[in-house]
Amino acid sequence: MIESFAQLEQLGAGRDLADVFLETDEQEHAVPAADILEALRKRRAVMRDCVERGKSGGTSMGKLVGHEARLLNEAFQSGKTFLDPLTVKAELYALAVMGENSRMGVIVAAPTAGAGGVVPGMLLALEEERHVDPEKTVRALVVAGGIGSIIALSASISGAAGGCQNEVGVASAMGAAGVAYMMGGTTKQSIHAAAMALKNTLGLVCDPVGGLVEVPCVKRNALFAVHGLTAAQLAMAGVESVIPMDEIVEAMVRIGRALPRGLRETAEGGLATTITGSAIAQRIKDEANARRAEKAKERERAAQERKGGA
Amino acid sequence: MAVRHDRKVSILDVMGPVMVGPSSSHTAGTARLGRVAYEILDDDPVRVDFHLHPPLAATYRGHGSDFALVGGSIGLNVDDPRIPEAIRIAEQMGLEISFSEEDLGDVHPNTVRIEIRGASREAEIIGSSIGGGVIEVFKINGFQARFKGDSPTLLLFYRDRPGMISEVTAIIAEEAINIASLYCSRKQRGKDAFMQIDVDSPVSDAALARIGSVRDMREAKYLDRIP
Repeated sequence: MIESFAQLEQLGAGRDLADVFLETDEQEHAVPAADILEALRKRRAVMRDCVERGKSGGTSMGKLVGHEARLLNEAFQSGKTFLDPLTVKAELYALAVMGENSRMGVIVAAPTAGAGGVVPGMLLALEEERHVDPEKTVRALVVAGGIGSIIALSASISGAAGGCQNEVGVASAMGAAGVAYMMGGTTKQSIHAAAMALKNTLGLVCDPVGGLVEVPCVKRNALFAVHGLTAAQLAMAGVESVIPMDEIVEAMVRIGRALPRGLRETAEGGLATTITGSAIAQRIKDEANARRAEKAKERERAAQERKGGA
Repeated sequence: MAVRHDRKVSILDVMGPVMVGPSSSHTAGTARLGRVAYEILDDDPVRVDFHLHPPLAATYRGHGSDFALVGGSIGLNVDDPRIPEAIRIAEQMGLEISFSEEDLGDVHPNTVRIEIRGASREAEIIGSSIGGGVIEVFKINGFQARFKGDSPTLLLFYRDRPGMISEVTAIIAEEAINIASLYCSRKQRGKDAFMQIDVDSPVSDAALARIGSVRDMREAKYLDRIP
């Protein structure tokens, strides 16, 4: 079992990082490498579908978001975006996936649903813009998953446990390692890409408005997809993280523990309790109560009818 | 040094599951917890009560956890597009459903106690959705457990006595099944006991019947990997 990033760096020196992860996963979980690759081919296809469906937008369950992907896509298609196409596509694809997620569409949790736009945003945009073989993307998903599985040894991957650093932060680290791999980086470069991405998300809190995976989650995925790309770029240029990845993960766990409960997905702090956030939460609560009252009335009517009929 | 988990999650667990949104811990993980209750009940459910730990009680509705818990407890998979309709489907099936808040102690924020009843059987689990769709069930029918649903598993309920483990494991060895981990707990010495055996390959009905016929075995249950 690979227990640390230090060990991974040794084990993966001069080797294809996806092969290293496939071998250890096969040993630990008795799943043949070919099966893992096949499952990830399907998951890449689900991500791809999700991006296509999500581009046209649509209102979310909580009605707070839904048209971000459509707006960016329209601007992009009509030549009105000013960033380079790789960056715009990374944002667009992340928004598309998160839009689908907010409508209870089928997505791939990577590593979570709330952070599920980051990895496909980065990897699928890179695949298209740099003409990477889709099979290489599948292997980059192995790398991203492998990085996440080592982080998960010491950190719980949920906003409830440690804030958004544990979700979007981890996703950007996983994606950054995958991007470095796709661009021909070494094991060491993938680890440093992950380290720089994760390090610069530390302290990110989970404060969803109304408790929904909508605000700030949807747009945050887009912004951190770009963040991950920049971390991979630094690593590919030979920049290294001064703090080793293992210690960054430890710091993340400590920071997560130090976060007050109100900033760990409970919607009792941060953006959730701003004037606007509170007003939205109140509206959601009122609507839910109204629905419940309506349902209770309906049940009563049905009971009356049964009585009347008897 | 941070506390290390004793088992590494797989690549496919991290880069997945394929699921209905919006939250892996609140939707996928909770659907899987419901599914565990359904599989352990092993009967058509007629009533299910969800007792939510306070942080989950505060956040479950906006994440569709209610749909997911119910969907799982009627046997739906986490990627089943019918999950958003699960409550309506369950009600049509005549299933009675309740949600309430209950302080489950010093546990993960997303923890739930599920009581599920069929026509003649009932089951109870307490489990946490720890993120990314990964679950940890730590109580099954009142016994301490360490169930994650990530491998085929035998759940054995029996009367505590010397030699029980060796008799069971001998059968498993004869069936050429490799044991990944084994965990036992009991309510009282010489009384009700529980054994959880995670295995590397599926257990046949014949093998399960052999294990079920061991003296003092009350019930031998086999659960496949929870999708």
